[in-house]
Amino acid sequence: MIRRELVILGAGPAGMAAAITAGRCGIRATVIDENATSGGQIFRQPPKSFVTSDSPADDENAARGTDLRKELASLGDRIELLPATTVWGYFPQRQIAIRNEQGWQMIEAKQLILAPGAYEFVPPFPGWTLPGVMTPGAAQSMVKTMKILPGKRVLVAGSGPFLLVVAAQLHAAGVEVVGVVEAVRRRDILRHFPDLLSNRKLLGQGRRYYRTLQQAGIPFHWGHLVTEAHGNESVEQATITACDSQSRPQGRSTTISLDTLCVGYGFVPRIELAQMADCHVQYSDLLGSWIPEVDENFETSVPGVRVAGDGGGVAGAIAAELQGTLAALAALHQLGQLDASAFEQQRTPIVFRLNKLQKFRRALDQIYRIRSGLLDLALPDTIVCRCEELTRQEVETGIQFGGTDIPTLKVSTRLGMGPCQGKMCWSMAARMIAAQTGKSIADIGPVRVRPPVGPLEIADLLNPQLLETS
Amino acid sequence: MKQTADVIVVGGGVIGGAVAFELARRSVDVLLLDKSLPGRATSASAGGLWPVGEAVGLGCGIIHHQSRAASDGISSELVLPTVFRDFLIRSNECFPKLAEELKEISAVDIEYESEGNGLFFLYFNEDEQRFVETIASGLPGGSKFKMLDANEVKQLEPQLTDDLLGAAVLANEHQLNPMYLAEGFKRAAIALGAQFRHNTLVTGLCREADRVVGVQVGDQVLTCNTVVNAAGAWAGNLAAAAGLRVPVFPVRGQIVLTQSLPHTLSACLSTSGCYMLQKKHGEVLIGSTTENTGFDVSVTAEAITQLCRAAVQTVPILRNVGIKRVWSGLRPGTQDELPILGPMENVTGYVNAAGGFRTGIVAAPLTGRVLAQAIVGETPDVAIDPFLANRFQRSTAAFA
Ligand SMILES: Cc1cc2nc3c(=O)[nH]c(=O)nc-3n(C[C@H](O)[C@H](O)[C@H](O)COP(=O)(O)OP(=O)(O)OC[C@H]3O[C@@H](n4cnc5c(N)ncnc54)[C@H](O)[C@@H]3O)c2cc1C
Ligand SMILES: Cc1cc2nc3c(=O)[nH]c(=O)nc-3n(C[C@H](O)[C@H](O)[C@H](O)COP(=O)(O)OP(=O)(O)OC[C@H]3O[C@@H](n4cnc5c(N)ncnc54)[C@H](O)[C@@H]3O)c2cc1C
Repeated sequence: MIRRELVILGAGPAGMAAAITAGRCGIRATVIDENATSGGQIFRQPPKSFVTSDSPADDENAARGTDLRKELASLGDRIELLPATTVWGYFPQRQIAIRNEQGWQMIEAKQLILAPGAYEFVPPFPGWTLPGVMTPGAAQSMVKTMKILPGKRVLVAGSGPFLLVVAAQLHAAGVEVVGVVEAVRRRDILRHFPDLLSNRKLLGQGRRYYRTLQQAGIPFHWGHLVTEAHGNESVEQATITACDSQSRPQGRSTTISLDTLCVGYGFVPRIELAQMADCHVQYSDLLGSWIPEVDENFETSVPGVRVAGDGGGVAGAIAAELQGTLAALAALHQLGQLDASAFEQQRTPIVFRLNKLQKFRRALDQIYRIRSGLLDLALPDTIVCRCEELTRQEVETGIQFGGTDIPTLKVSTRLGMGPCQGKMCWSMAARMIAAQTGKSIADIGPVRVRPPVGPLEIADLLNPQLLETS
Repeated sequence: MKQTADVIVVGGGVIGGAVAFELARRSVDVLLLDKSLPGRATSASAGGLWPVGEAVGLGCGIIHHQSRAASDGISSELVLPTVFRDFLIRSNECFPKLAEELKEISAVDIEYESEGNGLFFLYFNEDEQRFVETIASGLPGGSKFKMLDANEVKQLEPQLTDDLLGAAVLANEHQLNPMYLAEGFKRAAIALGAQFRHNTLVTGLCREADRVVGVQVGDQVLTCNTVVNAAGAWAGNLAAAAGLRVPVFPVRGQIVLTQSLPHTLSACLSTSGCYMLQKKHGEVLIGSTTENTGFDVSVTAEAITQLCRAAVQTVPILRNVGIKRVWSGLRPGTQDELPILGPMENVTGYVNAAGGFRTGIVAAPLTGRVLAQAIVGETPDVAIDPFLANRFQRSTAAFA
């Protein structure tokens, strides 16, 4: 085992900002990210060999990403960067187990910042397991990092501003985007418009994406859901249906021909490591997920463990960067590297900026919150738990036979026992238990997670020397 | 929800499920109460059905005894008494029929696999070979090991390492899915009229003088004629609430499960470092530690890496296989490694179904049956006297 002052998991905006803050203060942070290059989700970088001269200078995001990466690079050896390295487990007293090509190691951190980001949320619906159905993020990463097109005719569906981004990127990459399907109705947005005006810059960004799509003649279906994907070998068509304010399908259906269907209903924080660390988590109805409880310094209930960025509740790249900075300042203060007054002084303007983002963020959360109708799209024979291939009917039976809490349902059906450990199926299962028992989702509780988080091979564990002890 | 029953079973693991099933099929009015606590042994179990293997100390036994002896030598002291071995053999014989019954009554497939090559104890040096030969010489005819040399073993299990010297084979020792066994018992019991209440923590036993008359669930009292204590590793705590001493303690076992693989192993493998078996869904299960760490259900990096190392030494192709999950569970341990079954002296209305330790899965069918028989007043198929709790009073030195 080796010891480090400050360990940061994740090199997205939150993690990078935290590392830069530490570096400036003279603390050499250890930054771990499973990707080969830093940047996290939003500043996703093509691997070096893929960079082509015609790579579109994406937008402001790319610019900000380049800035952060430059700053990170300028830290030189005031940062210990571990790319292509996974944190596969958390063990008591801030020990984290990491792995990469060379082997594995346990690092004990005096201060730990978890900035793992979020994953995309997709509720089960008939046909969602067909090849050619993927998340918008997967399609994005194909065009952005691998420079391949996910398909020829793509429908982008789900909910949230991310759909606009992906549709525009796919269009720019030469894909025929046959439509964008947004579960939220237009009037649901208008109601929150005054709050959205609190951040004209972000609002403007969204509108620009929207206008681009309109100019390209891409049909936009407000207040619609993909209720079924059809196809033999792979997806060929999708049925879209109008829905009500709770995202319950209601009204007319149309069928659209396509070869690729992207479906995503926003993001859910990655909380596995915080859970493994025994951090208190609470259920957020608005986000439809569990989030670690943190104080104003982003410290969890476990001393010395902080959570910043989307991993603590999805708030976007700018908020992530600010939160990462604040978490790092607090950690540095704890480590005795920043005295109380310097801490306050550096903290105050960032807290101010973060608070200013609040109103806009709350409005987005309200507009795009995951509504109950989404968790009722699966038919009895629709797969609900993809890892263990359990249908809704099988889960229903498990609940009828007393699986009215997650641990019991898990052992009676295998739900959540696969590699994703219930990330994908928990929402649906919890909703089904709630419907049968009248319990609140919060009372049902999250799934219990076990190592490993992410891929880990037996061979990785046979070689325990990966870092120099220093 | 009713407040009273003839028999209340506390604990919905494989043992509680088996008892409820056997009572329900005898038309007893039975209510089972369970709160799935972290560490529930049945969910953690490997599902090995190794009656002779475990009784002579292979499988989990050899690991347990090595960790207890703290020396590297293996001794034949780990062989358990014949009455228990016979109990396990008989219980194991129940599975073919039980699997069909449960499927018919509850529609649950317990994934009982009788087609495998049996249980192999693999030896890598002459010490280990002598050890199994000594054990084998003490076994009665029917359950004797067949000894195979390295070539013969490798023909049956081509994925095994070349470093092997040979193997002792128990051809009738197979495996199943322990969670589905418990689930099958439960659903069958319900189909036969039993009542189950999940997510229900029993907080105490109600005792009137020398009689247990019910259980406490928070501020609610549920009354009954008999309470069955099937609370797994927690059985001692439950009994203590009624002033009874049931010396069961948690023995942690950690397990590594690989991702699903194509067919790799037909036999269940036991070595002095780990045991391994490929489950129905293709995962290879690598078990297990035996640790006295109280009710702590964490996993440790040391244990995981040790198990992985032992596995790769035995089946080299596991090297580049992904790990799906690691976990731990709490065996209901006892000092003499025998279960604690049946009534207790000086108290009525109370029955133990505890101490399944490392063979609770294979022992479940017969345990359920003999306890149900005892409760309804039939003569048990197998005498439960050797397993009564009072054996500990007779020799207090046996556990400190
Ligand atoms: C798929 C996807 C695409 C997105 N695209 C856009 C977009 O185009 N435009 C936009 O405005 N917003 C986008 N977002 C949202 C935006 O990315 C986030 O708001 C922002 O990146 C949050 O920053 P973060 O630092 O909290 O997390 P992230 O940027 O997600 O960074 C977290 C990093 O931690 C790594 N990580 C997590 N767990 C482990 C582990 N156990 N071991 C090792 N590494 C780990 C992740 O791989 C990731 O690199 C996207 C989000 C997702 C999930
Ligand atoms: C890693 C491991 C591997 C194993 N491998 C094998 C094997 O290969 N073969 C084999 O035969 N055996 C094996 N075993 C042993 C076997 O799993 C156990 O002996 C058996 O599962 C015990 O069953 P049980 O019902 O007594 O206990 P449990 O399964 O623990 O069930 C007890 C139940 O009671 C509940 N409970 C406890 N207290 C209360 C209360 N107060 N109120 C309500 N509910 C309560 C618990 O939460 C639990 O659900 C293994 C065990 C472990 C840990």
